[in-house]
Amino acid sequence: MKKILFPILMGLSFSVFAMNANEIVSKAEQASYYQGQDGRAKVTMNISDGRSRQFVILRKNFGKDQKFYVYFQRPSDVRKMSFLIHKYMQKEDDRWMFLPALDLVKRIAAGDKRTSFAGSHFYYEDVSGRDPKEDKHELVDTTDDFYVIKSTPKKSGSAEFAYYKTWIHKGTFIPTKASYYKKGDKEYRQYEALKVQKLDGFQTVTEAVMRDLESGGETKLSYNEVKYNMGLEDNLFTERYLKNPPKQYLK
Amino acid sequence: MFQKIKKISDWSIANPKRAIKLNVVLAAVLLFLVALPFIVPGIPLSKLRVDTDPENMLSKTEEVRVFHNQMRKEFHLYDIVVVGVVDKTHSQGVFNVDSLKGVYALTEYAKTLDGVVTRELMAPSTVDSIESGAQGVVNFHWLMPESPATDKESKAIYDQAKRIPFLNGTLVSEDGKALALYVPIKSKDLSYAISKALKEKAKELEISDQVFIAGLPVAQDQFGVEMFKQMLVSAPLAMLFIFLLMYFFFRNVRLIASPMIVAGLSVVVTMGLLVVTGNTVHIMSSMIPIFIMPIAVLDAVHILSDFFDVYPKFKDRKKAINHVMSTLSMPMLYTSITTVVGFASLAFTPIPPVQVFGVFVALGVGFAWLSTITFIPAFIMLMSQKSLDGFGLKEKEPGENRLGKGLQLLGFKMRDYAKPVLGIALVGVLVSFVGISKIQINDNPVKWFSKSHDIRIADKELNDRFAGTYMAYLALEKKTLVSDLKSKGEKVGFPPEIIGQLSAEDETVSDVLENMRDYADVQDNADLWHQKIDMIESDLQVFKNPEMLHYIEGLQSHLQTVGVVGKSSSIVDIIKTVHRDLYLGQEKDFRLPDTSAAIAQTLMTYQNSHRPNDLWHFVTPDYTKATLFVQLNSGDNKDMASLVKAVADYQSKYPAPFKITSKWFGMTYINVVWQDKMVSGMMQSFLGSFLIVLLLMTLLFRSIGWGMLAMLPLVITISGIYGLIGFVGKDYDMPIAVLSSLSLGLAVDYAIHFLARARVLRGKNKTWDATIKPLFGDPAQAIFRNVIVISIGFVPLLFATLVPYQTVGLFISAILFFAGAVTLLILPALITLFQKVLFKNGLNHNMTRVTKISVVVLIGLIIIENVLF
Repeated sequence: MKKILFPILMGLSFSVFAMNANEIVSKAEQASYYQGQDGRAKVTMNISDGRSRQFVILRKNFGKDQKFYVYFQRPSDVRKMSFLIHKYMQKEDDRWMFLPALDLVKRIAAGDKRTSFAGSHFYYEDVSGRDPKEDKHELVDTTDDFYVIKSTPKKSGSAEFAYYKTWIHKGTFIPTKASYYKKGDKEYRQYEALKVQKLDGFQTVTEAVMRDLESGGETKLSYNEVKYNMGLEDNLFTERYLKNPPKQYLK
Repeated sequence: MFQKIKKISDWSIANPKRAIKLNVVLAAVLLFLVALPFIVPGIPLSKLRVDTDPENMLSKTEEVRVFHNQMRKEFHLYDIVVVGVVDKTHSQGVFNVDSLKGVYALTEYAKTLDGVVTRELMAPSTVDSIESGAQGVVNFHWLMPESPATDKESKAIYDQAKRIPFLNGTLVSEDGKALALYVPIKSKDLSYAISKALKEKAKELEISDQVFIAGLPVAQDQFGVEMFKQMLVSAPLAMLFIFLLMYFFFRNVRLIASPMIVAGLSVVVTMGLLVVTGNTVHIMSSMIPIFIMPIAVLDAVHILSDFFDVYPKFKDRKKAINHVMSTLSMPMLYTSITTVVGFASLAFTPIPPVQVFGVFVALGVGFAWLSTITFIPAFIMLMSQKSLDGFGLKEKEPGENRLGKGLQLLGFKMRDYAKPVLGIALVGVLVSFVGISKIQINDNPVKWFSKSHDIRIADKELNDRFAGTYMAYLALEKKTLVSDLKSKGEKVGFPPEIIGQLSAEDETVSDVLENMRDYADVQDNADLWHQKIDMIESDLQVFKNPEMLHYIEGLQSHLQTVGVVGKSSSIVDIIKTVHRDLYLGQEKDFRLPDTSAAIAQTLMTYQNSHRPNDLWHFVTPDYTKATLFVQLNSGDNKDMASLVKAVADYQSKYPAPFKITSKWFGMTYINVVWQDKMVSGMMQSFLGSFLIVLLLMTLLFRSIGWGMLAMLPLVITISGIYGLIGFVGKDYDMPIAVLSSLSLGLAVDYAIHFLARARVLRGKNKTWDATIKPLFGDPAQAIFRNVIVISIGFVPLLFATLVPYQTVGLFISAILFFAGAVTLLILPALITLFQKVLFKNGLNHNMTRVTKISVVVLIGLIIIENVLF
């Protein structure tokens, strides 16, 4: 009798109390990319080989779609370089960049977002967020503090990883760690949130690192002067502003 | 002293069983010590280790090697297995659906292999293509994200790669028929295993007929594998030949077994000692057996030859061997000493493996001598009298057999035609010098394999089609002093007293910059301060400066005119490519932008690709160091040397806009450095040992005249052989360099035997004329048999698959042949001509004044030679 009862109870407990993997992932996505209506941060990027960069990032939500504006301040020779990203749920993203020294606005081809962001160990996709629909998510573990989600690309070969695992904090739904694995369960890339603070009422990652476990290199991002719900105008996120940065938001 | 030495063989004759036991036990003990670590793992004994890394030709602390490793680390460079894929049957070459499917699968497989640095792997599916698309789009995408479905798509992959200078001629061949994968490996000694695995996979994918694997590490690692095969095949084969030839002369299997045993024991003891003392079996030390064998057999053949000639006279083993040993003890001791000196002198070369080689061959020769004078007499004593029945010359006098008669006739002819013979010899030597002046110093580890070897075929196939599989790197560096930094700081507005505080005595430039940043952080207008520091930094970053980059561009286009250079790559090529595709992809925009900022932004664009870190192969992130990759389609040292010269000439003609240092690194360059060391080291060690041997000869014969006479066959042999090398156009490479010390040992041997016997016989026979007949009896026959046995005995080495073994075989034969001929032809002619001077003192044991002075001068020269160099 006991033998039969136990599994049934276990099954019940999951269906009643636990969230399913997709719900967790969706909440995590909200917590890490969609806080507030809009937001701003001054980001210092330190790459382990000694390079450092500083840029301001502006974001505004348009429903599930989003727009990002990235303005480089340092080093001086890339000062005023800017990126614009329009992220869409239903179609491929649009990306632009402005190279002031060449007075050139270029569109960056749609498609692969798993390319380096400004030479760092972060990818474009890490900055703007990976579409949860690209992967199949499973809840593989639940600890005292974390949900551990294993995500596998639906289309194999669409990304360089075989799968990745995310540790999502139960209370805040902030992903505090992500590990990327190759075929053969070899972990080769690792993200970690180093510092989480409550700012303007939102739980915010203010320090994060991406490690390349193969080369031993890493990039650390520190977010300063974070503000939410500033009322950023829609037209800030247009091509025109690439060349004429909105100074008031960049200081 | 000779009496004491003679006592050793006397003891063996008296105690043959013990003498043999001693020899065999010593060899057995060493063999056991070598085997032990394999039988009992973990025992604190040195295990047999093979080392085929030519880098180890230089000491670990050698400057060029330290720099090489430091640069490789700094620029993330690895040893590379080059996998070429060539399809000769399809009209689009390898750019067809089936081949690319194989290439894709092979790449995926390579990623899974242990020891492969996956992130640096270069293959169509792992590199980025950059394109300028419609409507101002710049596009970075994988060159071949998956294997293409149609031949048209396949061709498009080639067309895209061709546009990217970094890939054209490297990843895809210029003729569009082939492509190459570059598989970086964590350590060189994995290359054989990895290339073998890739070959097997290629077979499984049914593209094995299209796959060619090349690259220095593969060649080197493969050499190590084949080296053992050669040791196990060539050396025993040579022994078999020697055995057959000895049988031809002496017709007694049991007797001639003894020199073979001596040679075998000497090799076992020497190699055993090598391993037990913790030395590695290196390319050089693998040749020790080949060098020891002829030397070990040489003395034994003298003993057997004399024994063969005199045995019929005595009809008693003991008496006969006693007689032989008393005539030969002295010459054998001296010939062994000279050989030991010749090889031991290699200990003074600046190349560690050559030192080890020299010392151990010297030890081996020493042991071979001891073994010869103990083992062979003992062996003869243990043979039954019966088994020697019918042994020896049929005739009573040595001169009465055909060989003896012929040699004696030769002796008389040399006396009669002394002047013309010497005239011809002189002309020969003069002609040789012309040949020597033509000698080309050159080496190439890939050419250590014979032409038909897979490695050579792959090497040719790939270097014909691509820009080259041999890499050389030029490291450029702008050094900045803290004082420069201070003045720059003041220029942008840092108050001098603050700068003073920020730069303590022992701090580096980057320390001071860091201090400046810390200072800026706590200021009110931090951003402004940081901008000032940015300005200083960008000033230091010369490899972002357009002037500097134009200079590199100029150097690169000059390199293209240097014959061996297939292609050179630098940060300039990346900038130009990205710049072109930031615009409309037109050729006119394939250029460097005008400002540092434009260059920085172009590079920032590049860094948004899949492989941003490829940039750091060409420049350090602080832009103070850069490398120029040069692909050569030949690994010949002379070609690398000509490249070095071309760059030096260019730089002295056109100085760089900034004060930079430039230094080469990479295996192709290291090979040149060790070759230079080898050549000068060999020359010096040869000169040193030449003087020592001359001194020994002078002391042995108590006359400088006889001493010089003894050196003559050596001089003529060396000039003859090296003259021939010059005329034939054979490169002066590693084995040839080492052979000079072998010739020193061997060529003097015959002269010592000949002259020592000449003096003894002259003492008995009163006149030189009367001496010729007996001298050309058994002494000359012994030399003649020796030459034939050993020079023909080494013929099997000519069929080795490794060229150094062929070279060694050919040259041992040539050295012995030359030295024997000179001894038997020219020495009698010279003695005839100078007999008055040579025999003036009646060969007494007091040195003349001239000789005494010569001895002092020689000692002085030897000291000077060793102190000065």
